[in-house]
Amino acid sequence: MVSRWMYISLVILYGFLLGPFVIIFMAGFGANANLAFPPQGFTLDWFANVFETAQFIDSFWISLQLGLSSTIVSLIMGMPVAYALVRYQFSASGMVETIFSAPILVPGLVIGFAMLNFFVLLGDMSVLTGLFIGHTAILFPYSVRVISASLRNLDPYVEDAAVSLGANRLRGFLLVVLPNMQAGIAAAFVLGFITSFNNVPVSLFLSGPGVTTLPVSMLSYLEYYFDPTIAAVSTLLVIFTVVLVQAAERLLGLSQFV
Amino acid sequence: MPYLEIQDLTVSYEKNKPTLKRFSLNVEQGELVSLLGPSGCGKTTTLRSVAGFIQPDSGQIVINERDYTRLPPNQRDIGLVFQSYALFPHLTVFNNVAFGLRMRRIPKDELHSRVANALKMVGLEAFADRRPSQLSGGQQQRVALARATVIEPQVLLLDEPLSNLDAGLRVEMRQEIRRAQQQLGITTLYVTHDQVEAMSISDRVVVMNQGEIEQIGRPESIFAAPETAFVAGFMGFDNHFSATVESAQDDKITVKWGGAPITLRWQSKFGSPTAGARAEIFFRADNASLSAGSEAGGLAGSVILHTFHGNEVQYLVETAVGEFSITQDSDSERFENGAAVKVQARTQKWIAIIE
Amino acid sequence: MIRRPNQNRTIILLVAPACVFVLVFFVLPLIFLLSQSVLPEEGGFTLTGYRDFFESRVSRIVYLRTLKLGVIVTVICVVIGYPAAFVLARMPARRRSFLMSLVILPLMTNAVARTFAWLIILGKRGMINQTLLSLDLIENPVRFMFSETAIVLGLAQLFLPLMVLPLVSALENIPEDVLEAARNLGANRLTTFVRIVVPLSSDGLVLGATLVFTGSVTAFVTPAILGGPRLLLMSTLLRQKVVTLFDLHAAAVVAVVMILTTLAVNLLLRVFRVQQS
Repeated sequence: MVSRWMYISLVILYGFLLGPFVIIFMAGFGANANLAFPPQGFTLDWFANVFETAQFIDSFWISLQLGLSSTIVSLIMGMPVAYALVRYQFSASGMVETIFSAPILVPGLVIGFAMLNFFVLLGDMSVLTGLFIGHTAILFPYSVRVISASLRNLDPYVEDAAVSLGANRLRGFLLVVLPNMQAGIAAAFVLGFITSFNNVPVSLFLSGPGVTTLPVSMLSYLEYYFDPTIAAVSTLLVIFTVVLVQAAERLLGLSQFV
Repeated sequence: MPYLEIQDLTVSYEKNKPTLKRFSLNVEQGELVSLLGPSGCGKTTTLRSVAGFIQPDSGQIVINERDYTRLPPNQRDIGLVFQSYALFPHLTVFNNVAFGLRMRRIPKDELHSRVANALKMVGLEAFADRRPSQLSGGQQQRVALARATVIEPQVLLLDEPLSNLDAGLRVEMRQEIRRAQQQLGITTLYVTHDQVEAMSISDRVVVMNQGEIEQIGRPESIFAAPETAFVAGFMGFDNHFSATVESAQDDKITVKWGGAPITLRWQSKFGSPTAGARAEIFFRADNASLSAGSEAGGLAGSVILHTFHGNEVQYLVETAVGEFSITQDSDSERFENGAAVKVQARTQKWIAIIE
Repeated sequence: MIRRPNQNRTIILLVAPACVFVLVFFVLPLIFLLSQSVLPEEGGFTLTGYRDFFESRVSRIVYLRTLKLGVIVTVICVVIGYPAAFVLARMPARRRSFLMSLVILPLMTNAVARTFAWLIILGKRGMINQTLLSLDLIENPVRFMFSETAIVLGLAQLFLPLMVLPLVSALENIPEDVLEAARNLGANRLTTFVRIVVPLSSDGLVLGATLVFTGSVTAFVTPAILGGPRLLLMSTLLRQKVVTLFDLHAAAVVAVVMILTTLAVNLLLRVFRVQQS
């Protein structure tokens, strides 16, 4: 069925998907400050600039903390939900599934705006708490889905086997279910962290003085400066992500859960 | 005093639609009883109730004079072998078998020797360090058996343990399970839907249908004398027709077969039959013979289909009272499709059921 | 599915914490947002916010533009993604999984970085202009930036993986036998493709289209960078209302319209799925 000319479609697909990354890499190492193409010369100044810009360093740490905390909380709270959905049959399961897929259906920008209104302006909550809540909420769909997938791969009767051999339900879960879900949990963790780490729309309105996530600060940098520093940041981020994703893929087969 | 007593057990998943209806069964110490029936008959529900995974609506489960009914499953001393084996994928064979002993805080030395013995019993000493995924189906089954018996449970429960194995291995494993059960002298409930398996492995067989017991008995008696039409059908009585009782004695009744009277043993759960009552007659394919249509006696019919099976030939014969499947030795006289034949009854092994 | 005693209590214990979190921290703010869109600061219930939105020429243009660009982006993604997904789905597993990870990779990189590349490509002194200039095809740089074309290119690049992934998983589920059977029964390649492959992959196609369309009509970063302050889409309009005009009532209306739009599309998807099964 696959004829030779159809391979052209792959060239178009990958050219379109990956071409921009090549251009970013080139621009990041180019010496001209005005982003003219093709870049002239070679310099590492833009990379140095990234590490000298407090805006990027501060927001990187915020993004990192935010990504880790919201991913962990969404996993801890999402895991029991996934367990209930996969292992039990109950009348409200459809409703529960809808509740936990809702954060995907609502546009991120709207979520951020609603949270700004309700928590920050009305409830006088700190922006950082608002960010944490917003990110945790949008990660639930991913944690619940990935953990569910990994639970479905495990014979439900192994828990009964553990119980029939004398373990109580909790112990059975800890000794038998959890060790067999390691890959799924790690995949959910990586996926959740990356989703939070890259998010702009939810974070956009939830930024305050000194509290900005990395992608949002990249966006606002773009509004004032038009130089290859962003290309350098992007290059660093791509390397960071590739390492993370490839490690996860090698170790766990991440793509089966996406 | 029976060792395992199940009294009036009722379980319903949906309101007013009990899966198990007032089920009662006593099992003696060291006895192997199998629960036999089609899927949905309640046999697995019974097993899971005994294991404690299902809370019955009413009824009682007593093991060794102790009431188990409300005991959580992890506090019951019961070994369970699952249809899927349910081995722990992340643990080695050794650790799978040791799991129950660790839960019981058995000291290390004793644990090691008990696991070693259990693995020896199932012939897997050399596989202690393997993971379940590195074992064949039969080997996984053996690990499951070792894991369930190493804790020296009061009762062993097996839920369709052989259904995931191929035919040859099934016979071998059946014998192995029976040998281990007798060697350990362990009281056992065995769930299966395969009548040959049930008969070959059990001391007694319980035939179940729609949440109720149809018949309990030794394999030989259930095989020879089913008490209900359901059991007869399940026990391989392929042929069935309805007849009117001509006359009845203590243990025999007479019905018409091709105009002439035949006398049959009868079974009934509802008292003795009388003349004029309706009887359901059952016989196996090898308990009738065919003769040429010109011969005297027997029931007239014609051959619809014949198929050759090596040692025997199977005929599908259409008669005035119904279609019958009849096997004949392939050395005997052969009949072509459409041939007029007489079906001669060999009534010693026929059974009449009055319902 | 296993039935166990004390089911309901266990299920509630498992589900309650996260449910409470989502209801309080996610659903409640949205309800507040909804109320804000119909209850102006002056008090009283009114739908004037919505009337103003649809009567205003500016916001109507923005809304229709958003939908139009969403459709265009979706079509582009289908055109590029479908044949590529078909080739990918028929590949040996190992090569496919490597190529699929290259499709996923862009998805894992933030939108600012991915959109930034278009500035270099489309900018005044960017790749395209420099190429055209050096070929003497133009005398002065052409303005590609801040145009609908720029937004469409950026969005298509951003969301193409969301089209390819469901398509590949739908297409790889079509057994080779089925295609051979069609050929054996006398269908040529094109007929086989149209009559067998497309219907059997319609699930993935519709899911991919839904993801790309809803993604495009709600995306913020791409229109913010490539559209600029003049060429607004719904998302950039929302930011303008909040940040520049600080008109929270009007902003809430824009936000609700965005939610309703994505919900409507997802509802269509659900209807399609029900019909399929």
